[in-house]
Amino acid sequence: MKIIRDNQVVVTGLAAISAAGVGTAALLEALGDKESRLRPVPESILGVPGHKWGKAESFRAADFMPPMKARKFDRCSLFAVAAAGMALKDAVIEPVRLDPTRIGIVLGCGFGGIANSEEFLRGFFRSGAEGMIPMLFPNTVPNAPASNASIEHNLQGPNVTLIQRFCSAETALLMAQRFLEEDRADIILTGGVDELTPVMLQGFRATGQLRGFGGGFGEGAGMLVLERSRHALQRGAHIKATLGQVRTIGRLLPDDGGEGASRLLPAGLPVSLISLSGSAVTEKRLVERLPYAELLETGPLLGRSLAMGGLAMTALVLGLKDGDKGLHLAASPEGPYFAIDFKGGAPVQS
Amino acid sequence: METYRIAVTGLGVLSAAGHDIPAFRESLLNGRSAIAPLDLFDVSPFSARIGAQVKGYEPLDYFAADKIAKLSRADQFGVIAAGEALNNSGIRSYYSPYDIGVSMGAGAAGMLQAEEWLQSGMSGNRPSPSLLRGLLPDRTSTAIASIYNLAGYQGSITTACSSSATAIGWGSDLVATGRLKAVICGGSDCLSRLTFAGFNSLRVVDTEPCAPFSLGRQGISLGEGAAFLVLENEQEAKRRGAVIYGYILGYGCGGEAFHMTAPEPSGSSAARVMCAALASAGVTSEEVGWVNAHGTGTPFNDVVETKAMKLVFKERCRAVPLISIKAMVGHCLGAAGAIEALATIIALNAGMIPQTLNFRGADQECDLDYCHDGPKISAASLALSNSFAFGGNITSLVISR
Repeated sequence: MKIIRDNQVVVTGLAAISAAGVGTAALLEALGDKESRLRPVPESILGVPGHKWGKAESFRAADFMPPMKARKFDRCSLFAVAAAGMALKDAVIEPVRLDPTRIGIVLGCGFGGIANSEEFLRGFFRSGAEGMIPMLFPNTVPNAPASNASIEHNLQGPNVTLIQRFCSAETALLMAQRFLEEDRADIILTGGVDELTPVMLQGFRATGQLRGFGGGFGEGAGMLVLERSRHALQRGAHIKATLGQVRTIGRLLPDDGGEGASRLLPAGLPVSLISLSGSAVTEKRLVERLPYAELLETGPLLGRSLAMGGLAMTALVLGLKDGDKGLHLAASPEGPYFAIDFKGGAPVQS
Repeated sequence: METYRIAVTGLGVLSAAGHDIPAFRESLLNGRSAIAPLDLFDVSPFSARIGAQVKGYEPLDYFAADKIAKLSRADQFGVIAAGEALNNSGIRSYYSPYDIGVSMGAGAAGMLQAEEWLQSGMSGNRPSPSLLRGLLPDRTSTAIASIYNLAGYQGSITTACSSSATAIGWGSDLVATGRLKAVICGGSDCLSRLTFAGFNSLRVVDTEPCAPFSLGRQGISLGEGAAFLVLENEQEAKRRGAVIYGYILGYGCGGEAFHMTAPEPSGSSAARVMCAALASAGVTSEEVGWVNAHGTGTPFNDVVETKAMKLVFKERCRAVPLISIKAMVGHCLGAAGAIEALATIIALNAGMIPQTLNFRGADQECDLDYCHDGPKISAASLALSNSFAFGGNITSLVISR
């Protein structure tokens, strides 16, 4: 197996859809004023008041595609198709002008396909085989969002969907980075996408997820265009950030003498901006190792989701000036854990 | 540039064709199909009522009673198969828990139990929340990591029917980069009403046991199960005296960007990914002895895979058998790629190419050698294993003994 270590990976495009609105400007505004965009969950959904959620209410599929086409997609796929288009535009990439087999998509997706699964099953349980709606079934798979985005934007490179608790987007970014380093592609769209439905909230309540760090769920997409630095430089792309090390462990073992935390957060990380995602803020053993820096947390502003890391990493890159070092720390209660280094601007030429 | 070979040092399986490696091996080498009438749930609304269900499975044989409710059927399958592979390899006593990761492919996961939650709620009852515990496909990997005390990378790939093949390729990458010393990788999936009804609604389920590449084939037979491999750096495996069953030499993965359910008809996308896999492994098509097909038994997919073979192997295409074990184990969706990679390793070591069962007659559009007549003795040391999925997600693994 070939190991190529000289392919640095850079960020050349970003996209965001969230409770803050559509586009990175809306996300930046929310990060700036630090006012929560969470809104009350209608009482009819949970039967009680007091819960909040972060629905992407300003998202209109018709702004991105004809209504007839939009009808065939689930909401998660709509987010993915729209965000992929915005991210490519932000990176000034037109797939038709490049080799489509060199452009891929590796996406974290938490609840993709669940809404379609529910609707399909309701029809079946209500009316038997006569109640099945065949057109719903293909979009019950969690890879529907990434695959629909690849079909709509002609991305024929590596196409993978991952889920891993609150670190779904981070597991995707790790794979995307590796695929670029290995020269499997020149450009890969990565990040996370998720949707939030009333039945999901009812399920969260049934399993106790509306309490604690799980409270205030959200939906949307945060997408980053990762690109091999040589490719980005050759086409004169504006490089927003350089991706550094991606460190991960699956679990933080008790009584490990600090091994897990130090693997994730080695001493002497000089950073000016730290993004906390998932349940990272509750991980005392990790938080106490963080260097002093400005903290950024999208969860309380926009809501949490399994693939929220996409929005959190997008926010981090937006907040980095040229030369600034940033750290993205993500965690999930049962693991995994990720620490990802970003640096604002292009890599230093050597 | 450094070069590593990624060794397979542990094998584990739980499937309709065998609840462990010895039983699975016997079914594979003797061409014994596990497709039979289903009784896991009510299949009477459908014309197709068969599949490769894991029969004779008793959770209490493997788990304490208080643990069973916390694990979905798919989780249980995964934990059992991963446990067999881990015990077989002996890696847990050799590496730090932080150096062993989990890379798995998943599909419907705990949907079977979640369906009960939904159906019960629709009937006005208050279903047990524990039915939702395994709904998300990442639950199996978390359970494996927790039960076997593994603390390295955790990731679950959900690209439908290519999930676990990609998980194996990705697992080999995680070891090749030095990020992990060892990885348990594979997949687990179980039958559910959603997938059974869904594929029936698309009219791609055969009423008879599936007959890949045969005339008159009408579609898939669904299956369930789990398979896992332990992967390590070859030098490290040899240093610790591990048994090496084979190697993952490389893999290719790509998207067709064509259609959510229909394959790109020329086979060129599949061929591109197969060639990328060979390039990743640093081998040529001349070195490939045979190919484990995705081979679902649907009329269109089998023709497209045949076309892809012709594009990759050109004038040699009839000398490279293309076989499908789905007629034996069914289409195990999220676990299919792992079960078939495992079968490929076992067959390479046994010096044989498995038979494609259930032949119904020759199809003019499927005009290659599919080993319909019986298994073949083979000295091949290298095979490809293909996995295609909804969304045009294609993965091809290069496996050697």
